[in-house]
Amino acid sequence: MTELEQRLISLGRALDVPEAPDVASRVLAEIGEARTPLRRGRRLVLALAALALASLLAALAIPDARSALLRFLQIGGARIELVDDLPEVAGPAELEFVLGKRVSLVEARDEAGFDLLSLDEDPDAVFLGDRGTVWFLYGTPEAVRLLVSQTPGVRIDEPFVLKKLATSGTRVEGASVRGSPAYFLSGEPHVVMLLDELGQEIPESLRLARDVLVWEERGRTVRLEGDLTLDEALEVADSMR
Amino acid sequence: MRAYQGIAFRAAYLLTGSAADAEDAVQVGFVKAWGALGRFRRGAEFRPWLLRIVVNEAHNRRRSAQRRESLAMRAAFADASGDAVPSPEAATLDREGRQALVDAVNRLDERDRDVLACRYFLELSERETAAVLGVRHGTVKSRTARALERLRTEVGE
Repeated sequence: MTELEQRLISLGRALDVPEAPDVASRVLAEIGEARTPLRRGRRLVLALAALALASLLAALAIPDARSALLRFLQIGGARIELVDDLPEVAGPAELEFVLGKRVSLVEARDEAGFDLLSLDEDPDAVFLGDRGTVWFLYGTPEAVRLLVSQTPGVRIDEPFVLKKLATSGTRVEGASVRGSPAYFLSGEPHVVMLLDELGQEIPESLRLARDVLVWEERGRTVRLEGDLTLDEALEVADSMR
Repeated sequence: MRAYQGIAFRAAYLLTGSAADAEDAVQVGFVKAWGALGRFRRGAEFRPWLLRIVVNEAHNRRRSAQRRESLAMRAAFADASGDAVPSPEAATLDREGRQALVDAVNRLDERDRDVLACRYFLELSERETAAVLGVRHGTVKSRTARALERLRTEVGE
């Protein structure tokens, strides 16, 4: 260990962090409440259901809340949310870290667990990411020409694989790829983030994305990202087999 | 759960710089972890899995409050003046030196600060850091080396 590392450890130990509150007791009490006998549990469920219904009705009665509720689109494992402001993005994404393990095309086909759609041109790099996503990168991580992702289907009880946040500056158009519904996002860049198996955002993955065509086909979510018009993106999508 | 609340709170506090936000992050994180126990991968390490959930909560709080500059570093230093004998930590770094190092860490970008916080302030292993930050082991190695290099430049070494 270098002297600088030792100084950092000393610094960490010298930081005055307040004593941890007894959060565990509160959480255990909360969990205990949820595990009370059936009769009480039923009452609790009914009360919560009534509360949820009341909240929903109240929300629908307020125009802003209603639009907030309706301002999202879902396609396969992807969810597109229309928001007023984008979260701040720390800097350019380090794609080689974000996308996953670098593999060969053959390894990706072996490990994907589903039939990968292919383009006429082989990708310059292939990555195997979390939750079974396979990424084809054309160009370099620093200068991406085209980025294609294929994600296996998520079960209804599983969280989305990726979330996109777009403002009104991003245009969202409906389209169709081989008869499957698709969305094309263009205009101002939107924020894309990957979600882990708990549905939590993976902070590392937060980045700005350019024009994107996304659709669901044969149980997988496919996403094309690059500097493309809708027609060009559809042409690439139609060429994929 | 009690066994982990100390380090969970410390991690959340170092990331948010706010005791109230850290407490919320730990509480919400623990409840989420309880609900997700069924999806906990058998054979995986529990501590980094739990810490990742809490750290994500803390990140979300920091992001929503747009306190990107924070990290831990708003935390005041323990005042050793009342101690009869200075602690080894206090002896290693005097107050001025510690403040200079804090300032230098704060000038790094978020990714560098996070990896340094995990490795040195929380004293997590490389493997645990990888699990907590949701990156690969090799990434932690390369990012730590790069962050230390940048820190050396910042402190003028």
